[in-house]
Amino acid sequence: MALDEDAALLPRLRAGEEAAFRELVRRHHGRLVRLAGVFTGARARAEEAVQDAWVVVVTGLDGYSGEAPLGAWITGIVMNKARNRAARDGRVVSFADLARSEAEGPALEPGRFMPDGHWAERFSAWPSPTPEREAGDRQLLARIGDALETLPPAQRAVVLLRDVEGHEPAAICRALGITEANMRVLLHRARTRLRDVAAALIEPAPAKRSIPATRL
Amino acid sequence: MPTCQEVAEQATEYLEKAMPRRERLGVWAHLRVCPNCRTYLRQFMGTIALTRRAAAAAPPPDDEDRLVAAMKAARTPGAD
Ligand SMILES: [Zn+2]
Repeated sequence: MALDEDAALLPRLRAGEEAAFRELVRRHHGRLVRLAGVFTGARARAEEAVQDAWVVVVTGLDGYSGEAPLGAWITGIVMNKARNRAARDGRVVSFADLARSEAEGPALEPGRFMPDGHWAERFSAWPSPTPEREAGDRQLLARIGDALETLPPAQRAVVLLRDVEGHEPAAICRALGITEANMRVLLHRARTRLRDVAAALIEPAPAKRSIPATRL
Repeated sequence: MPTCQEVAEQATEYLEKAMPRRERLGVWAHLRVCPNCRTYLRQFMGTIALTRRAAAAAPPPDDEDRLVAAMKAARTPGAD
């Protein structure tokens, strides 16, 4: 999302133009609901928290300084709303506890490697997106979206904050109450899982590498 | 030099630049001579971009018309 695309909407948003509100909602709502869900749990509660946040966003538009991109400013408001909502519901999530249970063992099954540590599978380069493949891409993105929802909660939180929202590690660790080492382990597991999901859709039959005769 | 398995398990530490210099050089040296790990790492980075696009392409609000109306009302001077 180009930052200036949102900035271009600002005068129309401040003027209270309905079409501009609709455009802003279409650009950000889905991502914000996913993010809010990290704190609120159930999607319905995340949806409510984000809808409440949108009202705070439009009433606060005159106070928006333009220092941070509009999308990031909205993200901050949503995270506050979602955290307040979770506290009100008595839903206190310890990401530090989750991190401990979600970070056990290697991210990749040892069986995917040969005894000497070489990969037992061969990768081929993924094609870059093209207009002809748009329909297939949409399906791929939908499946990755589904996979995001099924990640364990601390992994989902970290991948959304780091890879989707682009926050700095220190800020993420403060928001979730985890260490940077925790954060990287969780992020690594999430990315590894999502790569496997994407790979299964992009290269449907990953061929096991046969051991060359010369090495036997 | 680290093995493919070690490189794959350290991919995030490598990309986040959170490794001691010596280990980082080890991964870099492995990648130079191992096309399979280079491809894996490129896919790993491609996944980050795909995840970003996937998260944006999420379902619209439950009731967009009602939400937009509430936003408009909140923005209208004198409205409560
Ligand atoms: Zn390798």
